[in-house]
Amino acid sequence: MDKHAKLKFILTLLVVLVSFGALYIAQGTMNSFYIRVLNLAAIYAILALSLNLILGFTGMFSLGHAGFMCIGSYVAGILTMSPASKEIIYFMEPIHPLLANVQWPILPAILLGGIIAALFGFMIGFPALRLRDDYLAIATLGFAEIIRIVVTNVIPITNGALGLKNIPSVDSLLVYWGCAIVTLIVLMRIINSSWGYAFKAIRDNEIAAQAMGINIFKHKLLSFTIGAFFAGIAGALMAFLITSIDPTMYRFTFTFQILLIVVLGGMGSLSGSVIAAVIFSILMEVLRFVEQPMNLLGLEISGIPGMRMVIFSLGLLLIILFYRRGLMGTNEFNWNWVLNRLGIKTSHQGKRGEAN
Amino acid sequence: MLGLKRRNYVVLIAMVLIMSLLAVGCGGSQDQNAGQDAADSDVIKIGVFEPLTGVNAAGGQMTLEGIELAKEMYPEILGKKVEIVTVDNKSEKQEAANAVERLITQEKVNLIIGSYGSSLAMAGGPIAKREGTPVIGCSPTNPAVTLDNDFYFRVCFIDPFQGTVMSNYATETLGAKTAAIIQDVQQDYSVGLSNYFEKAFKATNGDAAIVAKLNYNTGDKDFSAQLTEVKSKNPDVIFAPGNFLECGILVAKARELGINVPILGGDTWEAEEFLNQVVDYQDIYFSTHFTAEEPVTEVSTTFLEAFAQKYPNKEVNAFAALGFDTYILAKDAIERANSADPQAIRDALAATSGFEGATGIITLDANGDATKTAVIKKVENGQFVYEAKVDPK
Repeated sequence: MDKHAKLKFILTLLVVLVSFGALYIAQGTMNSFYIRVLNLAAIYAILALSLNLILGFTGMFSLGHAGFMCIGSYVAGILTMSPASKEIIYFMEPIHPLLANVQWPILPAILLGGIIAALFGFMIGFPALRLRDDYLAIATLGFAEIIRIVVTNVIPITNGALGLKNIPSVDSLLVYWGCAIVTLIVLMRIINSSWGYAFKAIRDNEIAAQAMGINIFKHKLLSFTIGAFFAGIAGALMAFLITSIDPTMYRFTFTFQILLIVVLGGMGSLSGSVIAAVIFSILMEVLRFVEQPMNLLGLEISGIPGMRMVIFSLGLLLIILFYRRGLMGTNEFNWNWVLNRLGIKTSHQGKRGEAN
Repeated sequence: MLGLKRRNYVVLIAMVLIMSLLAVGCGGSQDQNAGQDAADSDVIKIGVFEPLTGVNAAGGQMTLEGIELAKEMYPEILGKKVEIVTVDNKSEKQEAANAVERLITQEKVNLIIGSYGSSLAMAGGPIAKREGTPVIGCSPTNPAVTLDNDFYFRVCFIDPFQGTVMSNYATETLGAKTAAIIQDVQQDYSVGLSNYFEKAFKATNGDAAIVAKLNYNTGDKDFSAQLTEVKSKNPDVIFAPGNFLECGILVAKARELGINVPILGGDTWEAEEFLNQVVDYQDIYFSTHFTAEEPVTEVSTTFLEAFAQKYPNKEVNAFAALGFDTYILAKDAIERANSADPQAIRDALAATSGFEGATGIITLDANGDATKTAVIKKVENGQFVYEAKVDPK
């Protein structure tokens, strides 16, 4: 029996309330640039969380995330654009009559974006998850590219290479971070359920897991489909953040960006993914100064474009070499650690690898 | 107890949120004091968002050279010093949106220039519109960029015009009655140009005039399938707009296969890489924004001389010329507005008429698009040679 359970619960509740309060106040006081960066951070967080479920918790090396995101973006974009702008944007070939007059509110569109992405995840996972490791990586990478090429070619539905424009803009922190928090809670629930234990067993040793009676294929497919669902949600949010989308956004290089966040945060740590996503998106903007012309001790240095990325690459290199676990390893944030630091003895120390 | 502890994740998110809010909040308080009103400041800030890294880096770099050249020549507007703030958009849409938001809310620029690549321009456009800061695009040719956006202008002509110009040239000068189109289905640019070429060509030569419309993908290296089919249809001209890399291979392959009809393309062909591929062939025509051989205006001559002086080892290119034009148009608009207020600049820009730029006489229409002269060049004796000028109708 954890004697501090009540205290922890109160702390948790307090922080949730404070954070929603902070979001509310921030929405009113922060300028649109900060809000945009934070919203992008929320999207990256959802993407990293969902990829972490597949990669870090189930041990499947999947590189198809950009493809699922692409589906989510297009579903949400097409469903929410006004019929008037659809008529102007689809000037090459008119939009499919079934879609021409559809205009949904934002939230159902986000949800359907996730559901359709999950459907594709299921269909792709069915054949692909019979593969393992590198082979799976190649297969999922291929599937993501196929999705992108199909989107480029079904012009009456997606407007092909020209992409969509005039998607309604959403700039509310509550929508983006709300989705991120829901994602986190759902994934946390899943990971601590029997499914989650099965996922982790599969990750640690597939043969042993099978010997224990875990249905490997079913659980892999489950993890993959859930991951695809949240990637679709993130894609839908991306469409509302940028308001114009086209297939070139979802090249496989985007998946690597998400992979970078997952590795930085620690494969197998949900908290790590969120922290790394926030750090990544804020640093990308903060580090812009290294690309500006500088005056260092009387030495004029002209700006070098791409320096930000060099710093990131160096950071990643150092992490891979010296700190392979990433920021959080497989640990999660927990109150025991905080309370211990504050000198309050808890009944048990925060155990590594346990999401308590 | 697990039930309670699971909530810890929520806590974590919340902590991160609060931390990030604090972090950015601190930054925010400072710049509220600094330069509240951009219009009253003693410098004029011009923001530039261009792809300086990533797949479109070459185009962004060339444009930036033109902008910097113009800034060196005209460092002051309305007696105020001009400061150029350049931000890289990494050839990514989310970065482009961040970049524009940053230029407006953090750097408080009076006006923005950018971006090479229509999809990048479209990512930034809605933000500029919301914040009321005018943007002048150098080379985004997709018609959707300025669509529905009163704050986006551009100095280049657009895809419909370019496609129509090439169609007219094919019909009137080359005497073509039939055409085949080979397009890169992944490039909005290629698809857009093909679409307008097709419309214009069908309008003059009848619906059966387009004998084939074939697709390929960015990165393809083998075009024999498409070209064999084109050869069997025996068109009078081939229209194949697209990236210089793929098109260079495509055009060379067509000639190898014995297809000797004229091949037409768009402004992206004006690149060294394209020329190297097709150096032995002829009857290759493309439309572009600018020519060094036949200066269209007096400003062209000034630009050519200045460019040769500043970048002695570089070939003059259309993107640098367009970059140059955006800057001098910005300067002109600010002077006409007699104010650095973004709204006043916008109104002055919208009224631009008969402006003399290095790439031609620019008049901005109701959409903010430039109606201006297009230049047609051809490949001859291993060089790009000026062929004709086409005025807008």
